[in-house]
Amino acid sequence: MIVFEDVHFGFNSKKVIDGISFEAAFYEKIAVLGGSGEGKTTLLKLILGLLRPDRGRILIDGRDITTLKESELVEVRKNFSIVFQEGALFDSMTVKDNVAFCLREFTSLSEEEIQQRVRELLRRVGIEEAEDLMPEELSGGMQRRVAIARSLAACEPKMILYDEPTTGLDPLTADTICGLINELSSGDPPNRRGLIIVTHKVTDATKVAERFMYLRNGRIAFDGDLQALRATQDEELKRFINEIL
Amino acid sequence: MRDLLLGLQEFYLLCIRATVGICRRPFYLRETIDQMDYAGAGSLFIVALVSLFIGMALSLQVAAELSTLGLKMYTGRVVGMAIIRELGPVATALVFAGRVGSGMTSELGSMVLGHQVDVLRVFGLDPVKRLVVPRLLSALVMLPVLTIVGDLIAIMGGYYIVVAVSHQSGSFYWSQIKDMLDFKNVFSGTVKPFIFGYIIACISCFMGLKTTGGARGLRRATTTAVVLSMVMIIVTDFLLTRILFYLLGMRV
Ligand SMILES: Nc1ncnc2c1ncn2[C@@H]1O[C@H](COP(=O)(O)OP(=O)(O)OP(=O)(O)O)[C@@H](O)[C@H]1O
Ligand SMILES: [Mg+2]
Repeated sequence: MIVFEDVHFGFNSKKVIDGISFEAAFYEKIAVLGGSGEGKTTLLKLILGLLRPDRGRILIDGRDITTLKESELVEVRKNFSIVFQEGALFDSMTVKDNVAFCLREFTSLSEEEIQQRVRELLRRVGIEEAEDLMPEELSGGMQRRVAIARSLAACEPKMILYDEPTTGLDPLTADTICGLINELSSGDPPNRRGLIIVTHKVTDATKVAERFMYLRNGRIAFDGDLQALRATQDEELKRFINEIL
Repeated sequence: MRDLLLGLQEFYLLCIRATVGICRRPFYLRETIDQMDYAGAGSLFIVALVSLFIGMALSLQVAAELSTLGLKMYTGRVVGMAIIRELGPVATALVFAGRVGSGMTSELGSMVLGHQVDVLRVFGLDPVKRLVVPRLLSALVMLPVLTIVGDLIAIMGGYYIVVAVSHQSGSFYWSQIKDMLDFKNVFSGTVKPFIFGYIIACISCFMGLKTTGGARGLRRATTTAVVLSMVMIIVTDFLLTRILFYLLGMRV
């Protein structure tokens, strides 16, 4: 369970998040919509405790993460896994080592088992042929798929956070990624893995999410399901979701 | 002003955490060896080159000046003193700051900008332990080693000038160098690179981890790190020399 209670956050003097409150369960599929620079990435970082709010509380499973020490946050972060905007692969390692990173770091599996698990994960995201390449040799879509594979290797997360997983990709690749995201969160609540997808591509959001939030001026201007989203009376939001109306 | 103080506080905190991190688990042996290889073996050639020419230029100057006083057989003494106590450590540290320090800042900076550091934190790994400690260790070990190698090569450069250009006795040159290798000089010559290495690694890693603002920010961070390291090396060198003179009871 994620609970935001009147959270404020700003970089230096610039206000980015200006009083956000919401509740979400780990099995929910949420899309956070919003224009560029509205603080979508910032929101994800707040959930993970990578940034600390200036004011307000963030409760993850009942624990207030705003007061936890970095070492205590580790426990909380185990619930999550994140796929960053550009993939954020470790660029000094091969694809295989990137995916194997967590397995090597946190498990005592033998090298044999690790290799097998890595190959399995890469097959799942459909790029097993790239295992020996370096991240800079991959296209944007492949990088994100590797990032997804890597995030899965990290001890089965309860919820995956995606930061603009389809931005800058062609429609077909974007579709593949959406399919992958859906596959990873398949099943019925409450036993499925939830997701929060941050994006400004409304069509992709509707493919994977069930609940929608619209961020404007640091506040949540809309929160509801697809039906409610389509029925919105807000002029600006209407323009934003024009493509699905 | 307030930002500056906050920045300094953060810097000291990083230094303390990195220092404590050196002797606490987990140890990242592979990372450390990797960094040592880059910092040490990778810098060897350029340090040797710089040292060789500094040694030759210095002994040319000294020999020329001393021969007007009729004291040119003492060239070795002056050259050895200057290199072991001052020029060797400082020149090597400056080269190290330019090559390895800037590399640390830009590498960590681009990891920050590409969210790679955030990923480490999400995975539950401490970036200080994982990224800073191996770099700090490699600087602490490799800079003294490089300095010793550099000193040696500079002294050999001096030998070449003394024997081939100034036509003095080579064995007398070596005997003077050997005189200079007493405890005081060797001690002050190895304490300095150790401290310079600490300064370079801490400043470079700090600036790298603090990078914000894209390619421009990376440029700013790298430049600041190198300039700050160089200034700090030279200022610290003076202070250290004063302190060492006092500690070792050398009179001016
Ligand atoms: N490290 C930083 N330092 C200062 N300001 C920042 C920093 N990171 C982000 N900002 C500012 O915070 C605001 C929100 O940034 P954020 O990255 O959360 O936006 P976003 O909604 O993810 O945008 P995009 O869709 O472009 O990714 C931006 O206006 C940006 O200028
Ligand atoms: Mg963003």
